[in-house]
Amino acid sequence: MTEALECQLLVIGGGSTGAGVAWDAALRGFQVILADRGDLATGTTGRFHGLLHSGGRYAVRDPGGARECARENVILRRVATEAIEDTGGLFVTTPLDDLEYADRFLAACPEAEVIVEEISIAEALRREPRLNPRIRRAFAVADGSIDSWKLVWGCARGAEEHGAKILPYHPVTALVREGDRVVGARLHDLRGERDVEVRAECVINAAGAWSGQIARMAGCEVGVRPGKGVMVAVNHRLADSVVNRCHLTGDGDIVVPSHSVSVIGTTDTPVEDPDDIEVTPAEVALMLEAADALLPGFSRSRALRVWSGARPLLPKTAAAAGAADDRAVSRSHSVLRHRERDGVAGLVSIAGGKLTTFRLMAQDTVDAVCAELGTERPCRTAETPLPGSTGANYYRLPDHQREFEQGRPDNPIICECELVSEADLLEAAERNPQVQIDDLRRVLRVGMGPCQGGFCAFRTAAILHGHGEYERAEANAALRAFVQERWKGQRPVLWGQQLRQARLDAWIFQGVLDLEHVPS
Amino acid sequence: MIADALVIGAGTAGLTAGIRLAQGGLRVTVVGTGEGCLPLASGTVDVLGYTPDPVPSPLAALPAFLAANPDHPYRLAGTGGLEQSVAWFVKTAEPLGYRGELARNRWVPTVLGGLRPTALVPASMAAADLPAGGEVVIAGIRGFRDLHPALLAANLSQATSGAAAIQARAVELDWPGSAGDLPAFRLARRLEDEEIRRRLAAQLRPRLGGAAAVGMPAVLGRERAAEVHADLERRLGIPVFEIPGLPPSLPGLRLFDCLRRALRAAGGRLVLGSTAVGATLGKGGVDSVTITQASRRVDVRAGFFVLATGGFPTGGVVREPDGELREPVFGLPVRGPAAGEEPFGDEYLAEHPLDRAGIGSDAEGRPLGAGGAPLASNLYAAGAVLAGGVPWREKSGEGICLTTGWHAAEAILGSRREDAA
Repeated sequence: MTEALECQLLVIGGGSTGAGVAWDAALRGFQVILADRGDLATGTTGRFHGLLHSGGRYAVRDPGGARECARENVILRRVATEAIEDTGGLFVTTPLDDLEYADRFLAACPEAEVIVEEISIAEALRREPRLNPRIRRAFAVADGSIDSWKLVWGCARGAEEHGAKILPYHPVTALVREGDRVVGARLHDLRGERDVEVRAECVINAAGAWSGQIARMAGCEVGVRPGKGVMVAVNHRLADSVVNRCHLTGDGDIVVPSHSVSVIGTTDTPVEDPDDIEVTPAEVALMLEAADALLPGFSRSRALRVWSGARPLLPKTAAAAGAADDRAVSRSHSVLRHRERDGVAGLVSIAGGKLTTFRLMAQDTVDAVCAELGTERPCRTAETPLPGSTGANYYRLPDHQREFEQGRPDNPIICECELVSEADLLEAAERNPQVQIDDLRRVLRVGMGPCQGGFCAFRTAAILHGHGEYERAEANAALRAFVQERWKGQRPVLWGQQLRQARLDAWIFQGVLDLEHVPS
Repeated sequence: MIADALVIGAGTAGLTAGIRLAQGGLRVTVVGTGEGCLPLASGTVDVLGYTPDPVPSPLAALPAFLAANPDHPYRLAGTGGLEQSVAWFVKTAEPLGYRGELARNRWVPTVLGGLRPTALVPASMAAADLPAGGEVVIAGIRGFRDLHPALLAANLSQATSGAAAIQARAVELDWPGSAGDLPAFRLARRLEDEEIRRRLAAQLRPRLGGAAAVGMPAVLGRERAAEVHADLERRLGIPVFEIPGLPPSLPGLRLFDCLRRALRAAGGRLVLGSTAVGATLGKGGVDSVTITQASRRVDVRAGFFVLATGGFPTGGVVREPDGELREPVFGLPVRGPAAGEEPFGDEYLAEHPLDRAGIGSDAEGRPLGAGGAPLASNLYAAGAVLAGGVPWREKSGEGICLTTGWHAAEAILGSRREDAA
């Protein structure tokens, strides 16, 4: 059976770019459908280090990109406050770094509108006592920590409030072409196990590192080159600010505080397939060693999990090719109108970019769509707070604990590591029918702490079954799928205390629950 | 500190060795970091459940199992040692009323509703050996997050015990008194109050229907568990069985309490909060072991030493970031995946190359040093620190700990008799 849907704009990709486009377009009054092959923000967006750039990272090597970051940083702090923790950031010159670069950095920042202030070593160490005491210069910037899942859901919710339809777990199986025009796409509803045909006036390819695959379905090219970036999380906030190496560029030069953990990232390795980004032990060792230069002892703390994301990198040549026929010219992202590039109307691709500039990317994309459709509608995302961010309060780690404590005592705790209650679980499940435990992890952080689901996964599956969200067999399958999913991120960091924890989890799943032999 | 024998580790293996040695007349000290692995365990005695095919009789399966797994810790004591150590255990843990036999596995429900093979269960779980075709009620307690009766009963009704399916029905009880979080320890303590039991039973009894037995979370008391269990059975009029779940496990703790008493009764000493961190070797073997006590380090001299520190979950074996495997007290070589071999596979629930890691030993249970010979004549090993087993997959954890702990003690007592002769 095939369901038929119609809209003005079909957005393919539910990462920050696609969700941002859906939000932007819905605000401009377009009827929007957004489809993703999985849950929202499960591609590159959900697999990055969580850094809201101040722009400092690019000030020397890419002042244009730095300026975009600096401006977007200011805007996002206004419209996406719920997703942001205002940690502030430091750039520090470690003994391994060139002192001369610090001067170039300090000179380049104001040119790129990056707010920077040199602080004394003593002040830097006062702010972050675990910093390498041998640092030689320190600069304070407006970096932040951003929860990309909250950001994307904010956009999706906002888009829905303006009439958009969000279709997670709907991979595109084909783009529908009529002559030299793309008129829609065929989707497969993975959960309903049926096909959906969407007709649209314009299809927006916001599939990031996968955008080449989507474009090829219409016989077009997008010159995106996936670049693998590796991240490692350890189980404490070893710093409360973002800490950056003050050097031109390198692997593992940023530590970001994210909720209750610290994340070291990242690498940049070209890959053929954005789905083939397995982390190697050598990459983990490299990250931990690099983190020690910033925060000595980092490598001895307990590594919880590892992940990698595929950046949608746009080589300069491809960017230039896109820029030549685009109104939106940017150093770091590019909007491609395939009508002009490939003679295929009704299809616009957005390529490149970074999470910090997602809003600008969406603005440029929808501007291009307006041009494609011959209409003019101004962008409003820079002034309109996302739902959840209207109170203009930054996320603060202790807030969650306080809210949680207020909800007790009639609210049993399900995940001790991340303070998730049964009520949180049921509320989130109600909002997301047919939810997988891994989807709830992204909403609630259930299973993200030191035990990586050893205790809470079973409880979650059983509670959702008890409340009718799962049939019996679905609950068992969801539990199995979740422990398998968590295993992937743990494998590369299983030593010391975290191996001990993982073996305790295995004791629970195999010895106590005998999950292996539970009837499916 | 001086002892005839120092046992390092206060889990099933360490306590078994310690009690047995104390019963043999030695001055024994058992040191442990915490309460051993017992609060993690289900309180059952798993001997052999899967090879990987389901095992109806551990005793009958053991010879073929050992032939197929010649490096398994069961090789040390063999079938005879298994029978003797289990008989000894049933007597030693007599207050908990363990029952069952090595010739037949019982299939007892997990909190997820599967059936898990085990050889012996405490009296509180005796009725969990479910008759085929019979109806059981699974009674959960609202607010206790580690047993969810709906899923348990639904899965259990799919499981087969013998010829006919089990009919399981879920019931959820309201806890008399406050709502909210009800951790296992709190429930266990409160259930020792007769009034709470009366109110809980009054709620449950009308909902039993024609059930032949009722399963409840394994929280039926700690110190006075036997009384709690008997009283509930009397009030409900049908057998009650506990279903063990996530740690902390009351059945495991009761066993710990019971073995601790047995050690004391035999004249042994238990020192908790002490971790062994190193050892000194002399001409005659191990001279002393260094333990931490508060912030101090103390050398304990003894004639014999038993290493029963467990596997990875309890820190008996450690893996370093570079992949090196280490035994932290004596620096014994650890047998594990070959250099360069991936320690873990892709499938979480499948066996991983690291799973059988541990230390090697000679036929007496003496750990092997770097040269392949026993490190010392007076050092023995017992339990999950030994290489070769996959206890959670085989369902052999307590069996390995009991037989090897018992075997180490027998070897020490035997060598003393030889010396005396």
